[in-house]
Order: sequence, then structure tokens, then C-alpha cells
Amino acid sequence: MAQTEKYVLNMGPQHPSTHGVLQVQVELDGENIVGAKPVMGYLHRGIEKLMESRTYVQCVPFTDRLDYVSAMNNNLGFCMAVEKLAGIEVPERAEYIRVICAELNRIASHHVFIGSLTNDLGSATGMIYAFRDREKILDLFNIICGARMTAHYIRIGGVAADAQDEFLRDTQKFIDYVPEMLDEYNKLFSGNEIFQARMKKTSIITKEMALKFGMSGPNIRASGVDYDIRKIDKYGAYGKFDFEVPLGKRGDNWDRYMIRMKEIAESAKIIQQALDNMPEGPYMAKVPKVLRPPKGDAYHRVENTRGELGFYIVSDGSTKPYRVHIRRPSFVNLQALDTMCKGMLLADAVTAFATIDPLMGEVDC
Amino acid sequence: MWGKGLITGMKVTWGHWFGKKETVYYPEEKLPMTERFRGGHLAFDEEKCIGCKLCAIGCPNAALDLTVSVDENKKRHMESYVHQIGRCMYCDLCIEACPTKAITWDKNYEFASYFKEDMTYDALVEARNRRGNDE
Repeated sequence: MAQTEKYVLNMGPQHPSTHGVLQVQVELDGENIVGAKPVMGYLHRGIEKLMESRTYVQCVPFTDRLDYVSAMNNNLGFCMAVEKLAGIEVPERAEYIRVICAELNRIASHHVFIGSLTNDLGSATGMIYAFRDREKILDLFNIICGARMTAHYIRIGGVAADAQDEFLRDTQKFIDYVPEMLDEYNKLFSGNEIFQARMKKTSIITKEMALKFGMSGPNIRASGVDYDIRKIDKYGAYGKFDFEVPLGKRGDNWDRYMIRMKEIAESAKIIQQALDNMPEGPYMAKVPKVLRPPKGDAYHRVENTRGELGFYIVSDGSTKPYRVHIRRPSFVNLQALDTMCKGMLLADAVTAFATIDPLMGEVDC
Repeated sequence: MWGKGLITGMKVTWGHWFGKKETVYYPEEKLPMTERFRGGHLAFDEEKCIGCKLCAIGCPNAALDLTVSVDENKKRHMESYVHQIGRCMYCDLCIEACPTKAITWDKNYEFASYFKEDMTYDALVEARNRRGNDE
């Protein structure tokens, strides 16, 4: 009689479908997964520690490097935490520009999600379509701040420079294109039978499990938990916009994909409202040249593309933060990988990994 | 019907067969850089610089290494303006800190190099060379 035994397969850190330098130790019984253990730390740069030796203003470009496909949201989180600490009031126009940039970046980040997911499922064509449209947003960022990914545009007290007419006009053009874009995606992948067969009823996370893991962002909303910090906290100008929070039912891979597709449409809705009601005025508050927040601490959380991104800053009254801690959504979401993979086939591990959508820059920090 | 979605998808890709190209033939054809583009070497203006070193103080990664001399009239002169590209993260803080706008990006993005030494250059020497070529 043939003797079988479990064995461990190392997926990554150079595997093309791990989206970065993540190693997953997959324990296999034949082709069935018994356990999947993520091994992290390959991209650790010690950003939290680096921030302790930089002034508050100098810290902002480091946040670009956390979640490098949605840099604007990271800038926003850090700047709002410092503003809370120092009691800086942000002008209304700056708040609106911030919302436009953050939501554009959310769409761009979901493009990466769709692109890498379809690529992992064997459709390289899908990746090209998503990245083609993402390029349109990166070009918008190039106009407004001169960088495509590491934006460093949202600053403490406002934004780095005013939004030009060219930027607003091109953003409007992109928003008009969004329904056509989503329709094309739906025709390309959502209706595809193979795509559906791979996605539906695989790697299910129930509501209870999602809450237990402390997940956030589209991943928890796919399991049916109504948890969106834009709605709960209404930070910045988000209270002024009318938008819905799409929710999933089953919490499988398909729901996690559809949530993101719906979120693109919702983000476009927010941007449209911001463009229509854009107030005039200054784009930067009066921030002292040498910023010394009073002694104390502040925590501020924003809805990043991947979930709840929080910055905890302790100030000792000097120009540099005493301690910075970053609550990274990808890091927390990644803990569900083992549960998602158990009982699935090896090929599904790639899909499960793609739909959690972790970003190693943020996981390792 | 199974397979209907596949055919719809194929129709989309076929639709792009005849259409505008999204890409450019890179070395022959180049995209223009935007007005606010951050990248390349620092274009240094010797006449505008007052030697205050605010750019070097503002840099988060200490990528600028400046030598300033003071003459008998107590006027400050820049002796060297070394920019280490390997340390630079193009955050624009040096340029925003400059009170006289003596530095700007030269917007040349083709500066990849084989050796680490080539990633360090003196912006002052480059500015003088450029002026020498113009004259």
C-alpha cells in the first residue's frame, strides 16, 4: 500500500503571484492545503523607528512607502493625526482636494487588485486592462503633485499645491469614463464562467470569523459587516457626501471581488460630488515653520483602501515625534490566510491571497 | 448558456484590435513631463543661492552635502553642492524650503547608472558646465 505524508511547500518570497516579498509556508496533503503560514519581514524598513528621528514634516514622505499603491490615503492618515495633535484647522478647499485625491487613489488601488487577481487566475489580458485605466489616474497625480506613486501631496495643514484647472478637468473626464470602464470589466471577467467557477464559494470567511480576526476594509464588508470608517467617523469632508457602503453576503472570493467593483463606482460618486461643490479659498492652513505639538498623544484612523489605517503619535513637545505606531490593515487582514486556505486546493491559495489584497510594504512597515 | 461570458469577453478584446494605441515607442517617442514633475538632477542657480543651507536642513535623508565659504565681506558662497541620488526620495522638501528658488528639478528622468559612484554628482559643477556650454 502506498504511504503518503504531509509536506511543506514554500510559496515565495520570489513567487510571481505573492505580490511582493511574502513567503507562505503551505502544508500540503496531496493537493489539499492543511495549513498556510505567512512568513513576513522581508520588506521591513523600520519606518516607525525612522520617524522618531525626523521632524513631523519630514515624516510625511515615509508614509508614501507604507502602502505604496495608495500613498494619498497614508499621507491623509498621518497628516490628520498630526493635525489632531497640534490642533490645526484645515481649510475647506484643502479638505475637498484631499477627498478627491484619496478616492482617486482608492480606485487606482482597486485597479491593482483587479489586475493582479485576474493575472493570478491565468488571464494576463485582464491585468493589462486594469493597469491601462490605472495609468489614467497616475497621470492625474503626475499633474497635481509631480509624482505618480509616492505622491507626498497631502501635507500637515492642507495640501502641497492648489489643484489646477487642468487637473479638475481631467478628473471630470476620468469620472465620466468610469461607467464605461466598469462595463468593460464586467464583460471581460465578471461574466466569464471560468472566473466565476474559480471565485464563487471558495475561501469563505463568515461574519463571526471576520470580526474575530479584526479584519477591516473591503474584506470585512464582503462578509456582511457594515464597517466603513468614512461613514462611522466622518473624518475630513466625508460627512458632506452621499454614498453607499456596498456589502457582501457570503464572504467568499467572489464577494470580495464584487465589493471592490462596487466601491469603484461609489468612489466615483464621491469625486463627482466633490468636483461639483468645490469651494474656493486657501489650500493650506497657517502652520508654524517649526512645528512643536503640545505634549500628549493622538490616534487617528482613516479608511485606507485595505481597511482601517491608524496612526498613533506620542509627542514630547519637541519637533520630532517621541513614538509613532502604525495600525496597518494588511497586516491584520493577512492573519485570515490560514483559515481561508484550509481545505482548499493549492491553486486556490493564490486566489485567496489575491483577494485579501495585502501589500507587503504595509505588512512589514 | 455556458460559454456565453467567454464569447462576450473575446468580443471586448477583438474590439480593441482596431483602435488607438495606448502606448508610445519609448526611446523614439517621449512623453512630456508635467510642470510639477519631481525627478532628475537638481538644476542649481549660483546667482540666486544665498548659502542658507535650508535645503540641506529640510532633507529627511541627508541627501544633500553642502560646503559653504564666507568671504571678507561676510558674503556666503557655495563651494560644492553634492546631491546623492541614492539617498534622495524626491519629496520636494528641499525645493520648497529654498527662500530664493535657487534649485529646481531638471526633469531629466534618464539617469539610471551602472555604478554607485555615478549616483553622486555636484550640482554646482553641472550648473557651471551648462553655463559654459551656453556661452
